[in-house]
Amino acid sequence: MSTALSSTDGGWATASWWSEARRAFADVGPLLRFRASALRGRSRRFAIVGLVLIGALTIMAAWLPAYLPDGDGRRGDVLTLLPSALVGVVLIAVISAAASGGGRELMPRDQAVAYPISSMTDHLGALLMAPLNIAWLIQSWVLLGAIAYVSGISPGLVLGQLLIVLWLLTATALAQVVGWGMEWLRRGPGGVWVVRGMLALTGVAGAYLVASGDLLPLLEASPTINVAIAALQARTGITFLYVAVALVLGLTMLVAIVAGGAVSGAVSRRPARDVLRLETSTHHARPGPASDLVALLRTDRVGIWRSVPLRRGLAVLAVMPGLVAIAGDLRWDMLTILPGLVASGGALLFGVNSWCLDGRGALWRDSLPVDPKLAFLSRVFVLVEVLLVASAGTVLLASVRAGLPSQAEFVAVACCAVVVVLQVVSASMRWSVRRPFAVDLRSARATPAPPLVMVGYSSRLALSTTAVGIFFSVLSHISWEWSVMFALPFAMFSAFRLVRTSNVWADPAARSRVVATVAS
Amino acid sequence: MSPPLVEVQALHVRFGQVDAVRGISFSVDPGAATALLGRNGAGKSTTMRVLAGVIPPTDGLVTVAGHDLRTDVLAVKRLTGYCPDVGGLVPRATPWEHLQLAARLRRLHGWEDRARELLERFDLGAAAHRVTAGFSHGMGRRMSVILAAFHQPPVLLLDEPFDGVDPLGVEATMDVVADARAQGAAVLVSTHLRELAVEVCQDAIVLRGGAAVAELPAQEMTGERGAGVYRSLLD
Repeated sequence: MSTALSSTDGGWATASWWSEARRAFADVGPLLRFRASALRGRSRRFAIVGLVLIGALTIMAAWLPAYLPDGDGRRGDVLTLLPSALVGVVLIAVISAAASGGGRELMPRDQAVAYPISSMTDHLGALLMAPLNIAWLIQSWVLLGAIAYVSGISPGLVLGQLLIVLWLLTATALAQVVGWGMEWLRRGPGGVWVVRGMLALTGVAGAYLVASGDLLPLLEASPTINVAIAALQARTGITFLYVAVALVLGLTMLVAIVAGGAVSGAVSRRPARDVLRLETSTHHARPGPASDLVALLRTDRVGIWRSVPLRRGLAVLAVMPGLVAIAGDLRWDMLTILPGLVASGGALLFGVNSWCLDGRGALWRDSLPVDPKLAFLSRVFVLVEVLLVASAGTVLLASVRAGLPSQAEFVAVACCAVVVVLQVVSASMRWSVRRPFAVDLRSARATPAPPLVMVGYSSRLALSTTAVGIFFSVLSHISWEWSVMFALPFAMFSAFRLVRTSNVWADPAARSRVVATVAS
Repeated sequence: MSPPLVEVQALHVRFGQVDAVRGISFSVDPGAATALLGRNGAGKSTTMRVLAGVIPPTDGLVTVAGHDLRTDVLAVKRLTGYCPDVGGLVPRATPWEHLQLAARLRRLHGWEDRARELLERFDLGAAAHRVTAGFSHGMGRRMSVILAAFHQPPVLLLDEPFDGVDPLGVEATMDVVADARAQGAAVLVSTHLRELAVEVCQDAIVLRGGAAVAELPAQEMTGERGAGVYRSLLD
């Protein structure tokens, strides 16, 4: 989002680094207020309720598990997993920052272009946006809940949780540096291949660790164990380790914030070569389409496959959950969770505001003589195929370690994939028609809807698809016919909702509102 | 005398509390070109969007070649060619893919030669297979005019076709309008560039605050005197 040379970028002024840093921090406030001012009426109320809900859920996650009974020494099991969970937060934050081209924008690029926003302000904005991500929130809630559960009710629980919050902030700041660093590399000469090479090496290293059985010992021996111990020691008061860990984390966070600003500045000075290359790419003419639907499908498909951020996002979704499944040694009965995860992630890349793929071409497309329901059907087809392909990719990858499934397991996973994809597509199309947003998805840092709306969408999708995944996980233990039998009503319900949304889309008044919004 | 191809009677368009168009009436005969003039927010683009079938009218009667827009919007879309005021291009498709889509949906056969000729005329021949996301504003405008005109529609709707377009592009657009008129099409050009509008159209309608404040021959809007007339109508 950095849009103009500020003095921190080596521009006109020669003000001290410190005064520029202060200015960068101060600039975040007006940008936040500007974003907030765009929320009016219902949207404003929803945003306030959403923020209060996130705050309430965080407090509950950090407090209520302390009241849970121990039960067969489960506290010991959770304790063992704490160092890995702390590492998991960093991993999720790094993947999120790297996949989004450095981090989410506090203000969309096209709106920010008129203001002298420094790269440091941009970086601080991305840091603020990072927690507005369901993966980050769930990881944080799980971690806070785990600490509360292991600590039990004690006066020092708050102190322990404060240290965990400090860890979350530090991990996010560190991840942001890595995210910017990856983007800087990607924008360099041969950067795409350098990054792909690094990812391949990481994959090979991960595969070696899994195959050799060294992954768990490595995670258990990670330095994060000191964070976990210090947080738990806080039950009885502040210890030397607590103070030392807090100081190290605080210092690391400050260094990471400053370093992130510097790397963000370096990124802003490099053009996004892969995006520019694709935007000026040429494509040979294909034979004329055989039908209206094929013609529409072609146009809809290019909107996805010729977009660097969408391709990158889909590739991450098709690979990462599969790799996690391999690392976690997930069995086939647990693989039913994956399609929902992938489908939700894919929809959150663009599907929840799917008409924005046409951008300013939406007005022209709507002036073409074609039944709007056919245009709707084409968009549904493309969403379904993209999400199914990504889901199949991740399940295939996960099956490398899970081995061959039984018939019931295979059918349960397949049915679950179809059900959650339809479920996600029907929700996405409904939201696309009900709440369109004018978004330029050229940048990997852009989201199809404002951050808080995205949190709402992602939590609803995560909740519903995880529930369906768990349900089919249970069905995978019984005869395969049950999976088919239960999949049918789910699929029919989604189809019914799609038809209903299609009817809304066919209404000229409703459609004109969507088209005018996404084309503006 | 042939009946008008475009007839608009007491057109109202309301967005929530805002009246974008307030009771506009006009008609455009075959072979005629009418300019919609006015300041930003006067209701020009909204009127064009209604005629293109993209926005439904809140009230009033709009017919295109006898087809009522309210009841037969698909027929109206078949008869019109529309260049929107903003963008008008799908970002990741190439010009040729745009033309293929339009040709398929409009059931055109043997359209390729005319498409190539138009692309060359608008100096876009070399970019025919390049993704439009990388196009300049002017290139995008020129391509939008091609998309509106290449199927030779009976009603040509050009919304701000000269905006940010170089002199060669302006000339090519004027040729397109002249060709369309010669073939008996009704042309509507919405613009805030008076000089160009009066050069390409024989009638002009000046809009202000969503209402028509004047309907006059374009010739009366030419030169210094015309500028004064236009200026007085805008205030």
